[in-house]
Amino acid sequence: MSHDPNSRSSALAEILSDGTTRVTISGNWSIESAVPNLIFKGDKVCLVPDNLGDFDSSLPAWLFQNFKNVRQIDISRLPPRLQSLYNLAEKSTIWESPTSPPGFIERFGVWGIESFSSWQRAMDHIGQTAVGLFRTLIGRGRVNWNDFALQLQTSGVDALPIVMLLGFLTGLIMAYVGLIQLRQVGATVYVANLVALAMTREMGALMTGIIACGRTSTSFASQLGSMNVSQESDALRALGISPVEYLAVPRILAVTLMVPLLSLFATFVGVFGGMIVACAGDLSIEQYLTQAIRAITFKSFLVGFIKSFAFAFIAAWAGCYRGYVAQRSALGVGNAATSAAVLGITLIVIADAIFAVIFNLYNF
Amino acid sequence: MMNSSILISRNLCVGYNDKAVMSDINFSLEAGKILAIVGPSGCGKSTLMRVLGGLDEPLSGECELLGIKVTEAQVRQREMTLRRSGFLFQGSALFSSLTLRENVEMPMREFLGVSNLQIRQLAEYKLALVGLAEAMDKLPSEVSGGMAKRAGIARAMALDPEIIFLDEPSAGLDPISSARLDELILKVRESFGTTIVLVSHEVPSILRTADFCVYLDSDTGTMGAYAPPKDFLQPGSHPKASAFFSQIKIS
Ligand SMILES: Nc1ncnc2c1ncn2[C@@H]1O[C@H](COP(=O)(O)OP(=O)(O)O)[C@@H](O)[C@H]1O
Ligand SMILES: [Mg+2]
Repeated sequence: MSHDPNSRSSALAEILSDGTTRVTISGNWSIESAVPNLIFKGDKVCLVPDNLGDFDSSLPAWLFQNFKNVRQIDISRLPPRLQSLYNLAEKSTIWESPTSPPGFIERFGVWGIESFSSWQRAMDHIGQTAVGLFRTLIGRGRVNWNDFALQLQTSGVDALPIVMLLGFLTGLIMAYVGLIQLRQVGATVYVANLVALAMTREMGALMTGIIACGRTSTSFASQLGSMNVSQESDALRALGISPVEYLAVPRILAVTLMVPLLSLFATFVGVFGGMIVACAGDLSIEQYLTQAIRAITFKSFLVGFIKSFAFAFIAAWAGCYRGYVAQRSALGVGNAATSAAVLGITLIVIADAIFAVIFNLYNF
Repeated sequence: MMNSSILISRNLCVGYNDKAVMSDINFSLEAGKILAIVGPSGCGKSTLMRVLGGLDEPLSGECELLGIKVTEAQVRQREMTLRRSGFLFQGSALFSSLTLRENVEMPMREFLGVSNLQIRQLAEYKLALVGLAEAMDKLPSEVSGGMAKRAGIARAMALDPEIIFLDEPSAGLDPISSARLDELILKVRESFGTTIVLVSHEVPSILRTADFCVYLDSDTGTMGAYAPPKDFLQPGSHPKASAFFSQIKIS
């Protein structure tokens, strides 16, 4: 067969007198160049080559796409190689049994069930965590203690620098803002009370909790999420080990142990940061410290401690939960990390508000 | 190309961190042939395949793919050669956040300057070849291992490669799908003239498809034999290889 090696792919449809559509195919077909657009009617098609040159998979792909819904197709005049390439593609069947795509109502139902079941899964995870913690406390839990030790280090000790820095700056900013107001009423000495009280009751715990969400929740979510991807959590389940107990409990324990300690550090350096601003002009160190110590009661100290304990639990749980329900894909792991931080911070702020109401009610 | 051999291995030695896994591998494969690599688990089939496909460096010796010594070639030339070959990894290695169709479309989008519509048409055809016409819009996490394997094959065929490397394509397939895969491999070779290198454990399938067979001997850490698979059925010619073949046949 003689053909011009440079001729472009082309196709021409014409309707014959007996109602058959004849499609003439010619030229060179390559996946690297454009293939023709074919518009035709009729469900009886006869394919005819005319000066058909080289072709790769672009031609059978084009045939498959254009004629897969045609009722009757005659390919007997095509070159045998092309015929077998066309026949090789399976039109509808997949090798396993197919499932039909869901309709509108079904999709709506699925959405409803999914949003309900995500609540259910959260509750389920909380329940499993509680059971796991309880079993561990009575010494019957199956817990990965290596993880516990590792997390004491990475979620606790390693976070110390950033917690101290942010705590220090928080105290500093509060003193600065407070002084501007207190100078107007000539009560600058109370800046010590302000900083000390706010740091112990509120800011120490809150800042540390938020840092824990950024550092620890995201890390937990991606660790546990990628264990989903590689089916490690399935492997645990297959061994009869609860992945929540084995993986989440040691992490939650380590974080709830370390974060309150971190919060103490944050409070301390916050008060110190306030001192630097206050003593730069308005107060003496002695004045500031006396006022500050007088302001920090055991009660306010306890309030801060309870809060940081709760925030730590929330941050650790949010990370473990989002990792536990993460989709099995790289994207799923990324989403888990993001949503863990968002969930953690949101829950911490909500919890803080609830604490404020409760402590106010009982005059704590 | 002067030489009609598309894949040549000369005194190839492969392994990790300067520790040889397999050495003394010598063969040359003509274009349009099907080569099966067999041997016990962990003997280095995947390792060898990665070197042959130009993905990893050999410890010593040289490997010529599509007329180019891949490891010595310039980066651009090496990439061009890799683009002319397709690779199915043992673990499928599909991009987990893309649907099966998007996985097949991905190399086309990167390397073919044609319209999205045409890319879609090509991808759908390639997926139809492996019987996934109705599972195209599923994510890899939503399909069975065998389906993921086949989608990986479709992706390896995305750019109409001249040579395809398939690491255990039939693992995870039921016997019927496995037979269809054999048929597909033969048809692809027949229709496109594609050279195919595959790792397989299934003797009937190897006998049906492969023209040549590399047997890797894990005891000596060298290539035990290179011959048409039928030769291995006669005892005596290659004692270890034929023992391996008949053992699998019994089980
Ligand atoms: N990334 C790696 N680093 C070091 N050793 C490896 C690595 N991957 C595989 N191996 C070792 O190389 C050998 C061959 O592995 P592989 O090629 O995967 O075997 P096969 O595919 O034949 O089952 C095994 O002993 C394995 O332990
Ligand atoms: Mg392998």
